Amino acid sequence: MSSVPLSAYLVLALILFCIGLYGALTKRNIVVVLICIELMLNAVNINLVAFAKYGAHPGITGQVFALFTIAVAAAEAAVGLAVLIALYRNRKTVHIDEIDSMKH
Amino acid sequence: MSGEYLAFLTLALAAIIGGVLMLNLSKVVHMVTALVFTFISIAGLYVLLSAEFVAAVQVLIYSGAITIIMLFGIMLTRHREEDKEKTTTGGFWRKTATAIAVFAFGAAVYLGVYQLDFGEKAEHLHEKNTEQIGVALYSYYIIPFEITAVILLVALVGAIILAKKDDREAQKK
Amino acid sequence: MMEMAWIVPLFPLLSFFILLLAGKKMKEASAYVGMLATFVSFLAACAVLVDRIGASTYKAEQVWLTAGRAKWTVGFEVTALNAWMLVVVSLVSFLVHMYAKGYMRGDERFSVFYAYLGLFTFAMLGLVLSPNLLQTYMFWELVGLGSFLLIGFYFYKEEAKAAAKKAFIMTRVGDVGFFIGMILLFSQVGSFEYEDIFKAVQDGTLSPALATLTAVLIFIGAVGKSGQFPLHTWLPDAMAGPTPVSALIHAATMVAAGVYLVAALFPLFEASAVAMRTVAVVGGFTAIFAASIALVQTDIKRVLAYSTVSQLGYMMLALGSGSDVAAIFHLTTHAFFKALLFLAAGSVIHAVGTQDIEKMGGLWRKMPLTAAMFLVGALAISGVPFLSGFFSKDEILVAAWTYGYGGLFWIAVAASFFTAFYMFRLFFLVFGGKERHDVKDVHESPAVMMLPMLVLAVLAVVSGYIHTPWFGTFLGDWLTDGGYAHEATPVWIMIVAAIVSMLGIFLAWLMYGKRSLARDWLSSRVPFMYSMLWNKYYIDEFYAWTVGCAVNAISRLCYYADRFVIEGIASLIAAAVNTAASFGARVQNGQVQTYGAVAFIGLALLVVILAFTGGYL
Repeated sequence: MSSVPLSAYLVLALILFCIGLYGALTKRNIVVVLICIELMLNAVNINLVAFAKYGAHPGITGQVFALFTIAVAAAEAAVGLAVLIALYRNRKTVHIDEIDSMKH
Repeated sequence: MSGEYLAFLTLALAAIIGGVLMLNLSKVVHMVTALVFTFISIAGLYVLLSAEFVAAVQVLIYSGAITIIMLFGIMLTRHREEDKEKTTTGGFWRKTATAIAVFAFGAAVYLGVYQLDFGEKAEHLHEKNTEQIGVALYSYYIIPFEITAVILLVALVGAIILAKKDDREAQKK
Repeated sequence: MMEMAWIVPLFPLLSFFILLLAGKKMKEASAYVGMLATFVSFLAACAVLVDRIGASTYKAEQVWLTAGRAKWTVGFEVTALNAWMLVVVSLVSFLVHMYAKGYMRGDERFSVFYAYLGLFTFAMLGLVLSPNLLQTYMFWELVGLGSFLLIGFYFYKEEAKAAAKKAFIMTRVGDVGFFIGMILLFSQVGSFEYEDIFKAVQDGTLSPALATLTAVLIFIGAVGKSGQFPLHTWLPDAMAGPTPVSALIHAATMVAAGVYLVAALFPLFEASAVAMRTVAVVGGFTAIFAASIALVQTDIKRVLAYSTVSQLGYMMLALGSGSDVAAIFHLTTHAFFKALLFLAAGSVIHAVGTQDIEKMGGLWRKMPLTAAMFLVGALAISGVPFLSGFFSKDEILVAAWTYGYGGLFWIAVAASFFTAFYMFRLFFLVFGGKERHDVKDVHESPAVMMLPMLVLAVLAVVSGYIHTPWFGTFLGDWLTDGGYAHEATPVWIMIVAAIVSMLGIFLAWLMYGKRSLARDWLSSRVPFMYSMLWNKYYIDEFYAWTVGCAVNAISRLCYYADRFVIEGIASLIAAAVNTAASFGARVQNGQVQTYGAVAFIGLALLVVILAFTGGYL
């Protein structure tokens, strides 16, 4: 059996997650930060679906869970963009550096 | 070197390259395009994992709806002069520390997962995948399903309210 | 009563506390508290004295500190010397308390003055009762404190502040010698107790060389406290304090503490001929040195101050000549007539408002009683026959001669001539001649001031008779517990002393009374000598150039070290903390990504630790 082992999928998911995390913590444009967050959620989905097939109790549950995650991610993206637009209207900027009124 | 292995390698590489490209491109729209690339590769991976329905949903929702939403966000918040994405200025230390932390985190988790093997395998996922999902969804997971519907409704209403122009502002204009 | 001798110092201490607490309300009534306390002390002291007659020394002590095998005790002992000193000190203190009621009337800090007097009296009585060097040292310092407080009583006057500091610091210099000597004795003998020290001297545990060293060191302490040369300059300046203070502290009691110390440690001094010689030489030199300065001074209290220094020199000379009896005798008579002189001078100052004798004159008409008192005191100090000073000075001269100090004997005689001269110069300038002052209403002092003077005048006359070769050497027998050697006194010494005193009085009368000799018949011929005397041999200036400058330089060095080195280090630490803080504060910049990054770094750290510790926490 030379099928792809579970660990391969997990490692791939880990790499994508790390990429997304680094981007979320480092990028200056708010939209890009939101994009990176979507990437992280995707990595989690890969994990879920991989465990659905190769995990300790393989079954359909993992895939169902992945579906739910996708739905919630979509909702979150929508709300996030709405917040972005509201913020943009107030501050006229999309640079996250300049939104620091939580300073004290 | 089976076909499955080859397919996995290709798709995985595509996903990672998409992610890395996304980080390193300068224009936001290009970044979104790289992201789409990643999403579609992930959909392919789902097919490899016998999750056809999830793959379809991934393509529909992620590379469809969410990408469009991101593009909308970019379009509506663009300054004329500034289209480029600049990395954080003056945050050299933060960037370095974050990079090191991410790398360390990744290494630690890698140590945990690189030999993980439960020895089990689901055989029947690919047979009538959609039907299986439907059955599970409407029997065991009906409540999360309904709640998800409520979440979506709430998100919809919330997004509209957040993004709405103020009445006073509208009157001024 | 001897067992209860510890209550003698207790009453003045009580008066001190009462006046501290309730003095402000009591105001002028505080005088009664002070007077009552010292009177009761005096009665108790008399009772102790009476009890001691025929009995042997009583000592009581209690351990208060142990370190390893060494034990230090506090207590009191009643020797013949102690009992006598108790009576003298408490009597003079009581009389001064009474006098001050009139002198300090109207002063705002009346009760504070009496409180300080009580503190001082307590310390002096305690010093006298101490059975060991450590306790003596403690009371010694306390007496110095009392003196400081009282000299600086008029603290709003610059000169009073300076004088108080000078007195304290100068006596401190002497105290260093005392302390070193004390420690040396302890290291050799193993105890501070007088009786242990005397036993060690007798046994030979204390080598003669060491006995010399420690005796000289302890004598340095006495030099400071009793104002001997070279630590004498504080005493004339201490006249900036109120006159009752000068009478009590700087005539009768505190300055006598030095003499008392040497007398109490007399067996130690006797063991070393070098120490005795040192004491005698210092004493004799001081006697004539101070007397010479007093010849030309114009401040009434300063003349009396230099006179005190000179008379203390006599007492030291007596001690150095092997006769502690003569020294204590002179201490007693001096306490009485010097206190009398100071109180009379205070009366004059109170009436005329100035201390400059050039601005006084002809006061005997306006203040006959005070003049008479002053005359009695002047006669006593000059050694006019049949008054107390004559007998006590004679004892000293005899002791000096029989011990073998030929040179010092004639120096003492010369000083006696000076003494008579300057005292009567003072008398004639203040009370005789024409009135040179411009005060309209000069009158006698009130009775409360006259009564103590009267008592002291009587004592100044009769106290000589406690120790005479003709009527019985009571004091000598008393002090040596019956072992006094009744040697035949060379009569010629008595005659020489009497003639010299008369000559001095006669010369003063010629120059200042009858005015047949011009005042400057001598001083115009030796102007250099005159200016040296007038400027007190420039010793104050010399000290200012040498010791003053050296100490200033050292303190400046320390100041700079403190400001730059120590403060520098402190500010360095503060700056370092500041910098570290400002680095840390950069994390709190309000940006979400920073916060998220910090949180994630923490998580990463935890995960890494988890991974490396085998996955178990």
